[in-house]
Amino acid sequence: MEEEEVGSSENGEVPTAKQEEEGEQNVVKFLDSMDSYLNLLDSLSSTLRQGWLELASARHSMGASRINSTLFDLKHHAASTSLQVTQHDVDSIMNQPHFTLCKWTSPDNKKVGSEEAKFDEDELLQRKSTSPHLRHRGMQYSEIQEKRLESNRSPRIVDDQVQKERSKTLSMFGALVSPKLRAAQLSFETALETLVEIANMRSSMLSTHDQVQKVLESRME
Amino acid sequence: MYGFEALTFNIHGGFLEAIVRGHRSGLLTAADYNNLCQCETLDDIKMHLSATEYGPYLQNEPSPLHTTTIVEKCTLKLVDEYKHMLCQATEPLSTFLEYITYGHMIDNVVLIVTGTLHERDVQELLEKCHPLGMFDSIATLAVAQNMRELYRLVLVDTPLAPYFSECITSEDLDDMNIEIMRNTLYKAYLEDFYRFCQKLGGATAEIMSDLLAFEADKRAVNITINSIGTELTRDDRRKLYSSFGLLYPYGHEELAVCEDIDQVRAVMEKYPPYQSIFAKLSYGESQMLDKAFYEEEVKRHCLAFEQQFHYAVFFAYMRLREQEIRNLMWISECVAQNQKSRVHDSVVFIF
Repeated sequence: MEEEEVGSSENGEVPTAKQEEEGEQNVVKFLDSMDSYLNLLDSLSSTLRQGWLELASARHSMGASRINSTLFDLKHHAASTSLQVTQHDVDSIMNQPHFTLCKWTSPDNKKVGSEEAKFDEDELLQRKSTSPHLRHRGMQYSEIQEKRLESNRSPRIVDDQVQKERSKTLSMFGALVSPKLRAAQLSFETALETLVEIANMRSSMLSTHDQVQKVLESRME
Repeated sequence: MYGFEALTFNIHGGFLEAIVRGHRSGLLTAADYNNLCQCETLDDIKMHLSATEYGPYLQNEPSPLHTTTIVEKCTLKLVDEYKHMLCQATEPLSTFLEYITYGHMIDNVVLIVTGTLHERDVQELLEKCHPLGMFDSIATLAVAQNMRELYRLVLVDTPLAPYFSECITSEDLDDMNIEIMRNTLYKAYLEDFYRFCQKLGGATAEIMSDLLAFEADKRAVNITINSIGTELTRDDRRKLYSSFGLLYPYGHEELAVCEDIDQVRAVMEKYPPYQSIFAKLSYGESQMLDKAFYEEEVKRHCLAFEQQFHYAVFFAYMRLREQEIRNLMWISECVAQNQKSRVHDSVVFIF
């Protein structure tokens, strides 16, 4: 209220219209994020179906003795992919969790992993259709472009290392596996990325829902 | 002398040839597959199979069924038929029948060794072994640290012993070495089986040469495609190809340097029997290659029954049953995953 009084101009209705506009924007953001959330859920469902069928196809091709759960490696080893959760300030009151997937970040390939993680974070940020405020959370746009240029200098080396990590993960089924198994691996990898997008979208959706709820409650008062 | 088997074959082999031809008539037909492809659940599949020779093996399985249960019970039927034939066979048919199972023995050895490397329980691994490839000391495989110990402790007393001479090293077993060991053993087994059939002579040698040559060529193509983009060097890849077959030796030289599926296609299209297989695929695609190879394999195995008085009918029957079990596995997976539209991607009709 104090801000409105300070900021008011000759016309006393501007703050009210501004508030209404902000409220409408929040509703639009909420509906956009819900639409994206539902689309991502559909996408995840179809990607997982494809992955499971490709796995069955690989089993059909290579034989049941080569693709089965008894070949999973029970030795202790570092996770090849990890998830980072950070809290971002939406406004002075609320925090919104943000999820980042760090792929192929095994101890042998920490440098590659961090570059790959940056790729993922940039891709995720770019794909969001929400406001610039959320898209470039904690980062200016020029900084993102600079980082992308740096990582683009050696994409081939990153690709080779990522391929090596992928092959290493599949090696529990043998060193020479069918292309169908590699396709299944890619499908499940895509599904994992989609899951992280869903988590971020859900976080954004809940945040905008809370903002809309707050506006409605303040009007009812 | 070739052509006079009709005079003497039935003395020792006539009964079992009749038995195997009877088993062949029990293979599922296109009508059976059409019914199975329309099933909504695995219980429906069980109901349809109850009217076939698989009925007694599945009737006591409780619901809910799993695809692996269907495959296990169907495999059990094949194993029973095989053991029935083996116990009634005399030489050299008994040795021929044993040769058919060495491939499964190699798969079981690799399964145990790989599982042990991954710190899995031996009992759990033994349950997953193929029943046709079991032998007495198989559980002892878990104690070996390298191939030399594998041979000395266990495999020296098994039929696989002669195949180990090319891959005995003291290097520790890791994923790549195990894969090379698998393919080297299989190569040695195929070559030995080929030489044995050549010694038998007659119609057996003629028909088995064609069937084994096709298998060797198929393995060469699969090894090439599966090794694209891996650490396997060209020389190591060349060493895994068998020393017989239509592609030996010039096709192997060209396959050894292939870096993608289109180069493999360019090599294979020079050979007329494989031109028709690769003509079914579009450029850059390898997903349907397995089905194309299986279709050709089934055609050749069915043709083996057109001639009498030879042992190739036994080999062909075992392979056709394994193909049938693969079909049932695929249909079950598509039904279980509610993806019936994809069921015809990998089903190969036998009749």
